[in-house]
Amino acid sequence: MKKALRSTTIADRTLCIVLIIVSCAAMFYSREALSQGTDVVIEVSGKAVYTTSLDTNREIPVEGTQGRAIVEIRDGKVRMKEARCDNHICLKQGWITQGTIVCLPNSIVIITGSGSKKDVDAITG
Amino acid sequence: MQLQDKYRVAILSAYALALHGFEAMLPSPIPWLRVGLANIITLTALLLFGFRTAMMITLIRVILGSLFTGTFLGPSFILSLGGGVCGTCSMGVMLMMSRKLFGPVGLSIIGALFHNAAQLFLAYWLFIQRIEAVLFVSPVIILIGTLTGFMNGIVADILIKNLLKKESDSLHNVAQA
Repeated sequence: MKKALRSTTIADRTLCIVLIIVSCAAMFYSREALSQGTDVVIEVSGKAVYTTSLDTNREIPVEGTQGRAIVEIRDGKVRMKEARCDNHICLKQGWITQGTIVCLPNSIVIITGSGSKKDVDAITG
Repeated sequence: MQLQDKYRVAILSAYALALHGFEAMLPSPIPWLRVGLANIITLTALLLFGFRTAMMITLIRVILGSLFTGTFLGPSFILSLGGGVCGTCSMGVMLMMSRKLFGPVGLSIIGALFHNAAQLFLAYWLFIQRIEAVLFVSPVIILIGTLTGFMNGIVADILIKNLLKKESDSLHNVAQA
């Protein structure tokens, strides 16, 4: 092991160190630059009807099974603003940045943060 | 091709396949994270027997390996093939340009880097098509690739030195006898 380490050329070591530094720097940079790009997925009866980003402030009307509901996105957070249901559990949950809001009577599910992402598309060999 | 070369390719491919299969059984914290042990054999073949042998071993390993694991012509086969060919080509070109600049360790790191770059490009082009996801994940992959490439390079370096030493010893013995 030591012998092998000593037999590396200067170019080997430089390349290794440069790549490690660059990738570490890029990791921190990309985390900062891209962390706002979280998705919001709104599903009605299991089908995704809206896919949008948490970046833009907006109100989205959604047709649930019991009538219209309004989803509000503001300052990187999302909440159910209005819904026609009896218990209003979804309204009481308030603002979330990550996780899910479920309105069971209306069959509306709002998924955001890591819940909506599937990073692994394939495993290579 | 000489008979000797055929045996050589066959044996080295068998080693590469065995390492490839062994690696698939290793537990990994992230599913797409792999050490790339088979690259040790590719690198050894490249340095001892030349580019053609190394490329042949890579192709045999990728195709037979995917047949064994049942992913032949699937998406992971395409990624594996692209990565393997690109990694081997990059190491071959670098070795052709200069034999002294990079040792086995540097070549291994270059191979790992281009392997990952080709896979990321193919994954973006064919499957993901979301540039921010690729950009987000690529520094992590390149960092891990550099570290595993470094370790593979050291193992390949030791292997090459031992092989050369054995060969010169046996030649010495023949000369004495």
